[in-house]
Amino acid sequence: MTTEATTPTTPVADESTVLARIATLLRELPDAGLEDAEIGRDTLFHDDLELESIDLVSLSGLLREEYGERVNLALFVADLELDEIIELTVGRLADFVVASLRATEES
Amino acid sequence: MAKIPTGSLTTHVQRLAAGAAGGTVPDGEPPVVVLVHGLLTDSLASYYFTLGPALSAAGMDTVMYDLRGHGRTDRPPTGYRLENFVEDLSLLLDGLGERRPVHLVGNSFGGTVAAGFAAWHPERTATVTMIESEPPVAAWAGHMAEGLAHARRDLVHDHAIEWIKERYGAHTARLSRGAARILRTTTLAEDVPAGRLIDDDLSALRCPLFAVFGGDSGLSAQVPDLEAKVAGCRTVVLPDQGHSVLVEQPARTRDLVLDWVREHHARRAGTPAGAVG
Repeated sequence: MTTEATTPTTPVADESTVLARIATLLRELPDAGLEDAEIGRDTLFHDDLELESIDLVSLSGLLREEYGERVNLALFVADLELDEIIELTVGRLADFVVASLRATEES
Repeated sequence: MAKIPTGSLTTHVQRLAAGAAGGTVPDGEPPVVVLVHGLLTDSLASYYFTLGPALSAAGMDTVMYDLRGHGRTDRPPTGYRLENFVEDLSLLLDGLGERRPVHLVGNSFGGTVAAGFAAWHPERTATVTMIESEPPVAAWAGHMAEGLAHARRDLVHDHAIEWIKERYGAHTARLSRGAARILRTTTLAEDVPAGRLIDDDLSALRCPLFAVFGGDSGLSAQVPDLEAKVAGCRTVVLPDQGHSVLVEQPARTRDLVLDWVREHHARRAGTPAGAVG
């Protein structure tokens, strides 16, 4: 019964599942005050959630704990231009996580 | 999120091992680079999304941490003299079990912390890179006393934050509000200028020193003095650039730091004696 959830064929890289999980991680982020925040695909990290960059560091650590080293937010953000970081949405981050997971599933 | 005890505080630290962010790791023991952020509006996040991954990918063990009072490290009400910051770094390296002499890179006040550490813990310091910083001499303390008194006077007013928001945008206003919180709830503004200093002749700085400045920043006026007083000091002045070198020229800063650490790591790892000098 319980072994089923840990089999590698579990479709973890499902977009809506990942989006929901990221929303939960954000609401639980310490010191960010997002307990009751409405979070969807189009939610902006910067303008809507008013996250500080140090909160993104925390989120990066939580994503690694959740999905392993294959999801590396620092590398993703390092490749973005400043205006892309300011316009970063929760949906775009979810897409990145899904792409990272699929890339390793296929390899 | 890694938090480790450093004396009476808990310090937030993020490490990226050599190669953890991809790239190739050369043979032999990698250099360790410690990145020290600036005062009030800053945190390790300034490095986490820029310099940190690049150093790791270049085969360097990278340590980023939040200074006391900043980011996710504890914020005690008192104890913000330079020697407190330097002691925190020493305890952090102990806590991480780090025995190698470290390459320190500091931005603004972080560079002053790095220079203080090099002066008081020379055996633990490989090199120091100061980005838009002053070493902890009397003139620095004077500049800090003035700047911090100014910030504390102005940032407590809501209309000042509103003015910052109109002129520089919501993000800068948010950072300013955070800075005002530190100034209101701690003795940082009095403590920083009142701490331990080094002599004006900079004789306490015996490790290789690299200083990077923006040409439009007043701090670049230190170049002749640094070069005259610190043997083998290297300086770079980036033209048409103000104080925010790290934020506004991340790629250039990354290349400068990478080259500097690579060169000095190779030298420490054992160049034939005849080749030195």
